[in-house]
Amino acid sequence: MNKNLMWIIGGVVGLALIVGLAWAIAGEEPPDETAGFGTPTVTGTNLPAVENPNAGDPAVGMTAPTVVGTDWDGNEVAIEPDGRPKIVVFLAHWCPHCQAEVPVINNWLANGGLPEGVDMYAATIFTNARRPNFPPQTWLQRENWEVPTVMDNAENAIALGFGVMSTPTYIVLDGENKNLGRAAGEIGVGGLNALAAIAASAVEG
Amino acid sequence: MSDVQTLSAYNKVLALLTLVALVGAVVLIVYRLVKGPESARDLLGSGAIWLAWAVAAVATAGSLIYSEYFHFVPCRLCWFQRIFMYPMSLVLLVGSIRKEMVVKYYALPLSLLGLATSIYHYLVQVFPSLEGSGCDPTNPCSARYVEEFGFISIPFMAGVGFTLITVLLLFYVKAKEE
Repeated sequence: MNKNLMWIIGGVVGLALIVGLAWAIAGEEPPDETAGFGTPTVTGTNLPAVENPNAGDPAVGMTAPTVVGTDWDGNEVAIEPDGRPKIVVFLAHWCPHCQAEVPVINNWLANGGLPEGVDMYAATIFTNARRPNFPPQTWLQRENWEVPTVMDNAENAIALGFGVMSTPTYIVLDGENKNLGRAAGEIGVGGLNALAAIAASAVEG
Repeated sequence: MSDVQTLSAYNKVLALLTLVALVGAVVLIVYRLVKGPESARDLLGSGAIWLAWAVAAVATAGSLIYSEYFHFVPCRLCWFQRIFMYPMSLVLLVGSIRKEMVVKYYALPLSLLGLATSIYHYLVQVFPSLEGSGCDPTNPCSARYVEEFGFISIPFMAGVGFTLITVLLLFYVKAKEE
């Protein structure tokens, strides 16, 4: 190989390494690795995991755990037997399917998709500071997310409590926190309407 | 430096090297198209195979650092790309030392299949619905663990590595044949 060319290749690679290192070191503020995690209390019996969402939910009729935690602003969020049916969506900040589903949910809510007497909640789960789009609240605030959202802890207590094996996952609860059904994956407007119909059937009176 | 900062710095260095490799591959292709096939021999000669080995070695080391130091769990498609990249770091080294023409018959299929896998993996990241509708929390192929400049992810890095190796192998082939 031409010696001059060898020097040029070596120089360009070396320069790239030096610039890359300088850029990396002088770059961003160190991220707060604890941001995005909450300290929820999860009481009750964990629901079994949904191994195969297409094969039906083996835990229909079981009572889901009660969750009391906070959102990123410190506001209390409780998923508890308060007499009102609810739809809960479990989201992971790094999951592209969740990133695609959040605007769909926002539009669905804005178009009045949620039935009267039914509440909607969210939980940020499987949070990981080394994965992209961290922390989850930055992403959700950017999406103008207004659903009351509880943050899971680093031990994934909420995810374990609801048997979540993939994201996004939805669960419909009646007023006594009994599981009426779970769904996994991007379900779109059609799926949201189906879950809403299940929840609406549990509205009393 | 925290673990997350170290990872961020590592991502940036690899992203920059990826851009250098991408520009290198484009320049080589344009050079070949403009100057003609004979120029290949004069430009790189037998050094092409050493450069190809260097790319494979850096890619192999880079991938191992992700999994062994930063504890990234390779996804299914990452494993396929590893299967195609790792052997090249040895095959090309032996081929370089022995100056054997036959190395192209071993390395080119690996680099081309690796490139095809990288392209598919990158497409899965851009269009996650290609591989299901939900994310496995352990190691989804659709998640972008690394995202620099808004478009450089791990399969993008691998794809550029496979591309540059392929181009260098073709230059080497020409250099030896002509």
